[in-house]
Amino acid sequence: MIKTMYYLNTLDTGTALFAAILIGIAFGFFLERAGFSSSRKLSGVFYFKDMAVIKVMFTAVITAAIGLSCLISFGFISLDNIYLMPTVYGAHIVGGLIFGIGFAMGGWCPGTAAAGVACGKIDAIIFLLGTVIGSVIFNELFAFIKPLYQAGQSGVVLVYDSLKMSRNGFVLLLTLIAIIMFWLCEWLEKKRQLPIVSNNSVVLKIMSVLLLALSLGLNFTSSKTAAAQLSDTSSSEAQLLESIDKAQDHIEPEELAQRIIQGQDIIVVDVRPADEYNKFHIRNAMNIPLEALHQELDSFKNKSMIILYSNGMTHPAQARDSLYRSGFTNVYLLTDGLNGFIDRCLKPISLRNEPLSEDMDLKVDNWRSYFLASETMPKSATPQASTSQEPLVDANWLEKNLGKPSIKIIDLRSQPEYNTGHIPGSLALSVENLRTDINGIGSMLQPADMLARHMSLMGIASDDAVIFIYGDRVHDATLAGMALERLGHKNYAILNGGFAIWKASNKLLTTDLPTVIASKYQAANYTDEFTADSQTVLKYVQNKKAVIIDVRPADYYNGTKSDEARAGHVPGAINRPFSEDIVKTNDIQQFKSVEQLQTAYAQIIPTKETKVIVHCRTGHQASQTFFVLVRLLGYTNVLWYDAGWSEWAAKQELPIKK
Amino acid sequence: MENKILKYMNPYLAGIGLGMTLLASFLIMGAGLGASSGIARIAAFAELCIAKTHTLSCEYFGGYGDKPLNYYLVFMFGGIFIGAICSAIMADRVHWQIERGGKSSAKIRITFALIGGILVGFSSRLANGCTSGQALTGSALLLTGSFVFLICIFVGGYLTAWLFRGQWND
Repeated sequence: MIKTMYYLNTLDTGTALFAAILIGIAFGFFLERAGFSSSRKLSGVFYFKDMAVIKVMFTAVITAAIGLSCLISFGFISLDNIYLMPTVYGAHIVGGLIFGIGFAMGGWCPGTAAAGVACGKIDAIIFLLGTVIGSVIFNELFAFIKPLYQAGQSGVVLVYDSLKMSRNGFVLLLTLIAIIMFWLCEWLEKKRQLPIVSNNSVVLKIMSVLLLALSLGLNFTSSKTAAAQLSDTSSSEAQLLESIDKAQDHIEPEELAQRIIQGQDIIVVDVRPADEYNKFHIRNAMNIPLEALHQELDSFKNKSMIILYSNGMTHPAQARDSLYRSGFTNVYLLTDGLNGFIDRCLKPISLRNEPLSEDMDLKVDNWRSYFLASETMPKSATPQASTSQEPLVDANWLEKNLGKPSIKIIDLRSQPEYNTGHIPGSLALSVENLRTDINGIGSMLQPADMLARHMSLMGIASDDAVIFIYGDRVHDATLAGMALERLGHKNYAILNGGFAIWKASNKLLTTDLPTVIASKYQAANYTDEFTADSQTVLKYVQNKKAVIIDVRPADYYNGTKSDEARAGHVPGAINRPFSEDIVKTNDIQQFKSVEQLQTAYAQIIPTKETKVIVHCRTGHQASQTFFVLVRLLGYTNVLWYDAGWSEWAAKQELPIKK
Repeated sequence: MENKILKYMNPYLAGIGLGMTLLASFLIMGAGLGASSGIARIAAFAELCIAKTHTLSCEYFGGYGDKPLNYYLVFMFGGIFIGAICSAIMADRVHWQIERGGKSSAKIRITFALIGGILVGFSSRLANGCTSGQALTGSALLLTGSFVFLICIFVGGYLTAWLFRGQWND
């Protein structure tokens, strides 16, 4: 089975561009050989002076059609592998008529004009200039033309389906029509005693026999398989046929993509062979071979939505029929199979012929990052791997793990508070010690080498589990967490409830100071990839490819309150105050439940892979939202604009909104 | 004149050559031949050079992004030119000329070529392809819309060709 670049989604790679040049060279070569670098010869067809256009064009069409049908019949390739252009009746009729006028008038079409230019035809250069102008006119008038451009949209329609024939039957008919046309052309040219007549008849005779034989043979080989298919489906119930007829048994790729992203309870089943599944599959799909479907899916019978897919439609359709007969009523097919899914949901926007609406544009981006990311990343990379600490710990856990040398507890309350009583073994740290001025911007998280020195002084090793204890500001713990994030130190956690919960549960307190042996802290990395500067933020403000979350209190976001030179917010930013993620009961502040947070953020951020930028005034509060998104909820693409509003407001050239 | 004609390949053999090229394109790329999309992207590039923000905000050309030339059909269009020039040099057919009838004026020929080009450029976008991308490729794929387009090209051409015959007067 051949897999094409279109199928593998590699049409935008260098290899594809190189292949396109080579194919273009062969295309241009044969166009020129045929004499299509002459507008006079091309136009001849419209005056019955030279019928070469018909001869060459239809020979090419039937050669390729017969060749492709043979390869399909022998199972070398499936149609899923080829990009099929949708039929738009209105646009194709009107477009064809105008094109015909332009062709007769200009004497060229786009491909032949390129060949004409190669021969030094000045009229071809002028013609091509015209086509560029025509394209620009189309673009400029697109808003007016759009209704026509979409008139009679019918999706991919195959002509043999329109005529209710079999594929190979139609190929035979087309071959017959073409051959009759060729003989008519020859007869016409001979009758008019045109000077261009050369002795074509030998070639024509051989070719006619050959092509007819091929297309006849095609029908003979395919009749057997078709008959087998027919007897297989004839036993299906009327009800099944009815639901198929109404296409109730299908789900469109876009709908499936949305449902998966929304985390709906659906079972997606890939029925292809395991090796194909391993190469690429829809994220979260299970791989069940056709023969094991009944058994494996039995527990899901009529419970949740089951969606079957393969590369195309035939296999899952048969499987669906079979499941239906044994009582499954919840089985659906993915329209156009995996290829349709790739084409409609995952095809890069730049490769699409039709421009997409802004809404679709965003969706495609999200789908691409969700469905393609999972393939490139090892499975364990999403929500932080098992080697790391759970992001939140409770007091009981901490109590049990007190005294373990690999666990370091850092108390972030003020020094006087620490001195009056703290968790045994905990060290005091003020988060302000982790911040500094960078390039005139205050309160920036220190560079990694400085942070590493702090860690060394506190005797922390790079594989220690660090537990942060906060006082009355949860975001102290998350800012300290950012320091470790910058060092690539993922193994840290926060005591959910902070010092207050430890105290409230009457656990052991001490005033003893622990002894610390300085370590030589080795950072995993000295640069991080999550800190964004104002230029990065500006870029996303302009291209709108990220969700920007301003976590400051609403009155600062609105600009009614301000501590800075300018009031308001970053254009396009949405407001989700950091305090919304915290719940306070009896003076104990805790993170809201993961479920609650999940639901809240799912409403602002389309997918876990969406690019998100969080910021506040100085980066402190935003660190908490960063922690929630990355650590608790598993968002994978979150940036932290540390400098925040204090920088944005100060830089007059940056846009703001009030 | 006679010699040049004889140098053209037998049309059926050339057709088979084109058909095999198309088939190769299906098998390797998974997409057929195309020419007008390449031109449209060159047009978008030109418009980007002149008015970047305007072009990017256009619904149609904007969809190509800010690097419209990074597309396989642009490269294929370049390939057509290279292939044709190879064949033309082999047959000694490279001469600067405005191709027209012996008794026709160059001015009319050029005007017709320009207006014809505009119509073709426009309608190729409307129909999402030209003689290569729709009529040839789509027909070989047995797509209904492409057959409709192909038939309409000949209808449009035969209905109006009489009006443009002047440029080919000998």
